[in-house]
Amino acid sequence: MSTTRTLRFRVFRFNAETDYLPAYKIYDLEVDEHELMLDVLDKIKWTKDGSFSYRRSCRHGICGSCAIKVNGKSIIACKDNVFELADLFETDELIIEPSRTERAVKDLIVDKKDFWSKYDAVKPYLVAEIDEHPVKENLVTPEDAELINEADQCIQCGVCYYACPAVEVNPDFIGPAALAKAARFTTDVRDDAKLDRLEIVNELGKGIWDCVKCYECATACPKGVDPIGKITTLHNQTFEEDMAEDNVATRHAVGFKHAIARHGLLDETEIVRYSEGTFGMVKHIGVGLDMMRAGKVVMPWNMHNSKNLDEVKKLIKSSSTTTFKGK
Amino acid sequence: MSVEIRKYDVVIVGAGLAGCAAARECQMAGLKTVVLTKVHPLRSHSGAAQGGINAALNEADTTSHEFDTVKGSDYLGDQDAIELMCQKAPETIRWLEKMGAVFSRNEDGSIAQRPFGGQSQPRACFAKDRTGLICLQTIYEQAHRAGVEFLDEWYVGDLVYDNATSKVNGVVACNLRDTQFAIFNAKVVMFATGGYGRTYKINSNAHANTGDGLSIVARHGLPLEDMEFVQFHPSGLAGSGVLMSEAARGEGGHLLNSNGERFMSKYAPEKMELASRDVVSRGIEREIMEGRGVGEKKDAVYLDVRHLGEEKIMERLPELRDLALAFLGQDMAKEPIMIRATAHYSMGGIPTDINCHVKKNPTETVTGFYAAGECACVSVHGANRLGANSVLEAVLFGRHAGENIVKDIEAIAMVDVDESSADKFMKEVDWVIATNGSERVPALRAYLQETMTENAGVFRDEARLAKQKEIIKEIRKRYQNIRIDDSSRLFNTDMQEAIELGHMIDYAAFIVEGALARKESRGAQYREDYQSRDDANFLYHTYATMDGEGNISLDKGAVSIGKFQPEARTY
Ligand SMILES: Cc1cc2nc3c(=O)[nH]c(=O)nc-3n(C[C@H](O)[C@H](O)[C@H](O)COP(=O)(O)OP(=O)(O)OC[C@H]3O[C@@H](n4cnc5c(N)ncnc54)[C@H](O)[C@@H]3O)c2cc1C
Ligand code: SF4
Ligand code: SF4
Ligand code: FES
Repeated sequence: MSTTRTLRFRVFRFNAETDYLPAYKIYDLEVDEHELMLDVLDKIKWTKDGSFSYRRSCRHGICGSCAIKVNGKSIIACKDNVFELADLFETDELIIEPSRTERAVKDLIVDKKDFWSKYDAVKPYLVAEIDEHPVKENLVTPEDAELINEADQCIQCGVCYYACPAVEVNPDFIGPAALAKAARFTTDVRDDAKLDRLEIVNELGKGIWDCVKCYECATACPKGVDPIGKITTLHNQTFEEDMAEDNVATRHAVGFKHAIARHGLLDETEIVRYSEGTFGMVKHIGVGLDMMRAGKVVMPWNMHNSKNLDEVKKLIKSSSTTTFKGK
Repeated sequence: MSVEIRKYDVVIVGAGLAGCAAARECQMAGLKTVVLTKVHPLRSHSGAAQGGINAALNEADTTSHEFDTVKGSDYLGDQDAIELMCQKAPETIRWLEKMGAVFSRNEDGSIAQRPFGGQSQPRACFAKDRTGLICLQTIYEQAHRAGVEFLDEWYVGDLVYDNATSKVNGVVACNLRDTQFAIFNAKVVMFATGGYGRTYKINSNAHANTGDGLSIVARHGLPLEDMEFVQFHPSGLAGSGVLMSEAARGEGGHLLNSNGERFMSKYAPEKMELASRDVVSRGIEREIMEGRGVGEKKDAVYLDVRHLGEEKIMERLPELRDLALAFLGQDMAKEPIMIRATAHYSMGGIPTDINCHVKKNPTETVTGFYAAGECACVSVHGANRLGANSVLEAVLFGRHAGENIVKDIEAIAMVDVDESSADKFMKEVDWVIATNGSERVPALRAYLQETMTENAGVFRDEARLAKQKEIIKEIRKRYQNIRIDDSSRLFNTDMQEAIELGHMIDYAAFIVEGALARKESRGAQYREDYQSRDDANFLYHTYATMDGEGNISLDKGAVSIGKFQPEARTY
């Protein structure tokens, strides 16, 4: 027998045309154990208030429309089970908000222009001479195809992007989704624009050196894309291509280069050195870092996942005491 | 309110596989092209396709692909179009590959293929179980790279059609963000608006699949073809109808009833679980009807893939495993999962000739109007489409439409239109926002969906269909008395849902009328009162048109028969 529970939902309501400030409206709903957050949104819209607005289409986690936040956790609504969320937060009351309240246009609908402009920035398409009438495909071994390593599975939902603390403090940071997209092509043996793309993501203040390696994106991603893993791939590639030397961000480059020389690739055992390197980068973000705010760096539900938590904390602590030139 | 009039060479409605493929062709030929879509292109339902895309990569297999498709269509597919599709399929797949699609590969680096239902050879190319996502990304990316202008979250509500000259001159659309209207005046319009599965309660489709394009066309008195043929996919997750791709059976999954029997042995002793979709769906529903269902309400059967082993499941079917976990809390690596037939694909649609020109009757075409993909009926699927043939159709005929537009456009005039062309759609929207009746859109829609599933679903008969015809009339009347909550002009999704329901009611009527008149069982249409196929009386395409009151008249179109003469269809 399926069980039900009555839960309270505090829902962010806002209409940019008529409202000066958002309001949180309360809806008490009976929820079934199999119901997903999207079912809750639908119930509110279809039985309580038809003006409640949010994006959704596929309803099974493949179109990327329905990114929202529940109790501050970035999710796609059609994938997360309501009971599990309530249990995670040990509560009978869930707060439903848009991915980024500052960008809300109406209720849970946000203006995603920032997200898509980052997407556009990395040349999000295979650059190659396209044979319009091919008689044979490119031969790509399964091993070479594997190099893309699921980066092509990204549904552009933005969950990682709106969870990323670096994006929040540095609006110029390309962010996890677009960087994963860049890696999707730089690891494709058929692509001709690897260097161009590395050039773009290597740019200080915007690119791969501005990630604080908090792992939030990897934990939040509903499709297992592991954006931070892809960012690490891009780091490696800039070293392999000898591009990393071109900017001040690479003052730890010698250490990295050693690692590359020794292991061929940068790996997790180099994490400490890596974090120091990242710290160096953080200074260049150009924004007063207030990253502990609202627990933005490592969300409580990720504590156990974040392997280098202490490092990150150290990093945040020191960065928050330093003042930087504002942007 | 003044209405902006924008001018283009080509306006394409829909940014799924078909729309993006066409747009890229037009753009590359230097035509000024815009794509309008109610969701972001990458959110189009094409991205949900899981299992595969067919092509006879080994040329020797082409005839067999043609035959499987014709047989799958229960001989209602047009063989000239099927031939074109099967012959161009390998080039199309390789073209996708060249543009960047990350297909799963064989050891030698060539594109891998898997078996699929109703196919005599493993012919479905795939990208794990996320084939549609990979194909959609690729085509969108390359269309974007080519510089196509995409306007997303624009809702197209009307066609600018001049009946006297049979010429389409544009579309009327509204920006969902602010409800501003615009007329997109163009030499050529193409519809690629996708399918209409949402009219059923249990369905595998996205919320966006409300078939708007079809009724927009029908409201101008233009015909729709073969609307009665709605494919019910055998494996929708119990309850939600969310799809578990045929890949699960392609990879060797078993279907079991409450007695643990592989019941398909009764319905398709040779092909078993891999028989054509209609056959498997009926098998499942028959087991449930006769009390051998599983689950709390005994309204499902088991799909068991455990014997494939966890490794293969993770490698080949990761998405499916995730879905069953999310929706049912069942891990297919460890236990059988519960499934049931789900409304999945629309074989019928806007009639086109083999070059994607929309037809105004069985023999003549409209000028400046094209359609391709699931909203069109060209007809390669006839009465039932084979798994992995529709992604192929959307890409291939989408591109083909683009190529034909490029070929034709020089001879097509630009006819300027004025603001009044937008009146009808603007009035419709204003009415929805202002009207103050007592009927609620969600409840009315649920009523339509439930009754369609009950009366015009997997099993049909005269009495139920006649009843459904009356119900649709009732719903149409009640629709006149709706009320919505949202009176704003900012992302008014309440208004959008109401407009979409209006479309659903219209094309649901076409489904029912077509099904009623077709007193035979063919492919996806199964009449309990006429259980066999009747070629003598019904080997024709249904052409249906609607008058202002919603009454439907029927006409017949010839089926193109080629190499394969109709014969009995057994699996
Ligand atoms: C769950 C699922 C799995 C599938 N798996 C497979 C498979 O494995 N193999 C296979 O061959 N087929 C499969 N199919 C079928 C196949 O995916 C579709 O038939 C095909 O992708 C349709 O493509 P399309 O371009 O015609 O339409 P869609 O991709 O549906 O695009 C429709 C477009 O039209 C736009 N639109 C619609 N109405 C309006 C409007 N009023 N105004 C503006 N824009 C509008 C939408 O925004 C969208 O961009 C599957 C289908 C489903 C539902
Ligand atoms: S690891 Fe953290 S900072 Fe880096 S991209 Fe991911 S979420 Fe952003
Ligand atoms: S990487 Fe994951 S979370 Fe980020 S946009 Fe892609 S699918 Fe969404
Ligand atoms: S509705 Fe498509 S991802 Fe949630």
